[in-house]
Amino acid sequence: MRQTTGWRRYQMLLAIFCVSSVSIATQAQEAKTVVGPVNPELHDGAEALLAGDAEAGVRLTLIGLKQANSARERYTAWSNLCAGYVMLEQLDTALDYCNRVIEATDGHWRAYSNRALVYVKLKRYDEAEQDLQKGEALSPGARTLKAVRAMLRDAVEPVAPSIVIDDRRQPPGPGDDD
Amino acid sequence: MMTRRWAWLAMVAWFTGVSANEETQVTHLTDDAGDRQPLQTMIPVYPERARRDRLEGDVEVCFSVDREGRTSRVRVRNSTHRIFEKPSILAVRASTYRPLPDDKTLPGIKTCRTFRFRLTPVAIENPTPVR
Repeated sequence: MRQTTGWRRYQMLLAIFCVSSVSIATQAQEAKTVVGPVNPELHDGAEALLAGDAEAGVRLTLIGLKQANSARERYTAWSNLCAGYVMLEQLDTALDYCNRVIEATDGHWRAYSNRALVYVKLKRYDEAEQDLQKGEALSPGARTLKAVRAMLRDAVEPVAPSIVIDDRRQPPGPGDDD
Repeated sequence: MMTRRWAWLAMVAWFTGVSANEETQVTHLTDDAGDRQPLQTMIPVYPERARRDRLEGDVEVCFSVDREGRTSRVRVRNSTHRIFEKPSILAVRASTYRPLPDDKTLPGIKTCRTFRFRLTPVAIENPTPVR
């Protein structure tokens, strides 16, 4: 099925929604409180991805990954890089980063959602189904997972909308007269 | 041009109305029995969430048509799913009918239109998934 511009834009937006929120909490150090992101590049990379700028988002996130000080920051960076490379249509690289997150955490539903999206685009539908099931078990009803599941279903069982407009004369019902 | 007064089934037509998705197939069923004929029929948008969740439904909308062909008092008479109601109402509000000529003494009319939202299977070009 030929991808329309609108469908590709939808896939990009879907990848954006899979970006992990990098809400770095305030960090209290003895008598001092540091306010703001601890890893600014990681934070700015996420913002760029959410704004739709995949190139900037990936570039900043790669910098943020080098400066990561914790496992959580690394997992966040990998997850966002997966989403970013999906947006850049570099699927093998995206898959690599998604695999890293899942191997390291095995509990990040967004990572399963991202990887499922990559598998759908790679037409690896069985693996996409497995990741979706894992993601849905971790976060039932997540909107992003529903969207990826819809994409998988459309890939495996595509449908096209049709509308019938029936103007044939019908008798008025009770209460139609004012 | 329909010349007979009993019900006809219209041909399947592709509309390019303002609100139509380019992939949406539209069928317009009319008959010649009515006093007023549609002039511009706007097609409702298939809601994205309905499409995502594979929802189908019917909505019957009743409304008034004045002498100038404008619709008013649009309301839903029946529906099988609420998600389709708003697009149906908006489509009817944006639709028009042929104005009555001055020599015609007919007042405005009340009529109803049914929208049936369906998702039809599409043949897959490459059904075998690649691993």
